[in-house]
Amino acid sequence: MVTSVNETPAVSTSPPTVRSRRLRRVVSTVTAGGLLSTYLSIIVILPVVATIATGVGASPDTTSGSWWPGDWVWHSNFSAFVDAIGAPAAWHAIWLSVWLSLLAASVNTVMGALIAWVLVRDRFRGQKFIESFVDIPFALPTIVAGVVFIYLYGPASPVHVNLFEAWTGLFVALLFVSLPFSVRTIQPVLVAMDRDVEHAARTLGASPWRVTRSVIIPSLVSPALAGFGLAFARCVGEFGSISLIGGGIARTTTASTYIYNLTQGFLWQGAAAVSTILLLISVTVLTGATWFAASFHDRRAL
Amino acid sequence: MPIQLSNLSKNYGQGAVVADVNLEIPSGELTALLGPSGSGKTTVLKMIGGIEKPTTGRIVIEGRDVTDVDARYRDIGYCFQAYAPFRHMSVAKNVGFGLSVRGTAKKEIRQRVGELLELVRLSDKANRYPAQLSGGERQRMALARALAIEPQVLLLDEPFGALDAVVRSELRSWLKELHQRLHVTTILVTHDQEEAMDLAETLVVMHQGRIEQVGRPLEVYDQPVNSFVQSFLGPTTLFDGVTIRPHDLVVSPSGPDVVTNIDDLGFEIRIAVTRASGEQTWVQLSRPEFLDTKIASGDAVSVSRR
Repeated sequence: MVTSVNETPAVSTSPPTVRSRRLRRVVSTVTAGGLLSTYLSIIVILPVVATIATGVGASPDTTSGSWWPGDWVWHSNFSAFVDAIGAPAAWHAIWLSVWLSLLAASVNTVMGALIAWVLVRDRFRGQKFIESFVDIPFALPTIVAGVVFIYLYGPASPVHVNLFEAWTGLFVALLFVSLPFSVRTIQPVLVAMDRDVEHAARTLGASPWRVTRSVIIPSLVSPALAGFGLAFARCVGEFGSISLIGGGIARTTTASTYIYNLTQGFLWQGAAAVSTILLLISVTVLTGATWFAASFHDRRAL
Repeated sequence: MPIQLSNLSKNYGQGAVVADVNLEIPSGELTALLGPSGSGKTTVLKMIGGIEKPTTGRIVIEGRDVTDVDARYRDIGYCFQAYAPFRHMSVAKNVGFGLSVRGTAKKEIRQRVGELLELVRLSDKANRYPAQLSGGERQRMALARALAIEPQVLLLDEPFGALDAVVRSELRSWLKELHQRLHVTTILVTHDQEEAMDLAETLVVMHQGRIEQVGRPLEVYDQPVNSFVQSFLGPTTLFDGVTIRPHDLVVSPSGPDVVTNIDDLGFEIRIAVTRASGEQTWVQLSRPEFLDTKIASGDAVSVSRR
């Protein structure tokens, strides 16, 4: 039987012919690749492209009658894009979103690491119960969280903490929605960590603090970065809770609320333009964090 | 001064993993703790190293009672089973860790690390990361790291367990050589009797948390105190109702016994024989011996002691 050199023999009772094998490979490539790209296109790429297209005011002239978008005459309204993102209120909203999200994601990366540590390393009564608490922000609709926060930290606060219409209110809401990310990225790494590495450091004379600093923290950098990226993206995208606790005033309008307000005035292009900027920031931070995490991990992974 | 373990026990929950161990480990020698998995040998090592706290008993190293001393003050070099490398540090940083923790000057660390890497033949890998090393190299790095602090005692937990056969035997003879050069009191934990016989000057056979026998390897091999020690140190068979080593038997052509099977393992040949009495026994021959006898399966033979 003829076989080409670079093909591995198929595990099968009757060896397939070269042609059937080639056919199978083509079919599998087409189905796998096709399925993936179609799904990704519809679910992710299409909306992203549509957002950017709407943002720059792209409108097609389809009088040529061709089905292919490349044949159409495209008009764009780029100055409207510039106007929309150049508005001081837009910048204020975007900037507020970015620094609040950076702050919330940073705090939660540290706190998340500590929570993950306690959940993995300590044993105490009610641990399973506490553990299930961590995921509540995932489960709870954020608008519900907003309602709860307004009650708890609003003008009628039973604990006399009024964060309504203040950035601190937004901050608390963001802390809530982004908590699970760093906990859940760091936790599995802690579970898989070889305790003997810590023991080795100890037998070599390291103090508990030195073990933490030189051995434990470095191995958590990578998952912590990944968790940070996810938490940041989540914060930038948060709308439900912060639009409520922000109170709808200009000072506490974040990018997502700003976009919502634009849509309420039917300013679709402006909404899409600000969305494009927001998208850009989120994707940059997320891929940046993932890239750093991966490059940190690569040469060290066993 | 040796290492003395007195009445050492370790309980987890209700079961005793180590039960009342009394042992004196001679200075400067290589001692092997040999036993099957679950025999408590690694737990004994961990207690000497200060990683596990004994439930009862005392540990005295070179005259100093270290039972309540933290691992970091015990002055012990510990090589862990999976080598426990610091993955985010280069090989040189790994080896120098103990010194840098002690606040040794950078220049001195560099010099010491250089010497140690030469000793374990990793000089060309100083700037690599553990992930880029082979299993044998990782083990040598772990050894250099443990030796860097110039420990009084070196503890090795299954040092060759995760290596393939060729690297294993290579590393074994290298370790033997190293020990003869450095003469650091070394305790090695293994479940491999051949490894223990080859390396150890003193053999400690453990079973179910207790010490079964202590002695020179050949002494333990030839005069085992019980059937467990005997069968753990090498193959055994029955002859006239007595347990003996199959290499202490010979087969000669013609006789009342019948060869039922021959396993040819290369150098070693195992001949299964049913004796006239009905007793099943087997004989271990070397290839040249086997070729001389010219026997085949089904032949009538006679089995006797050498």
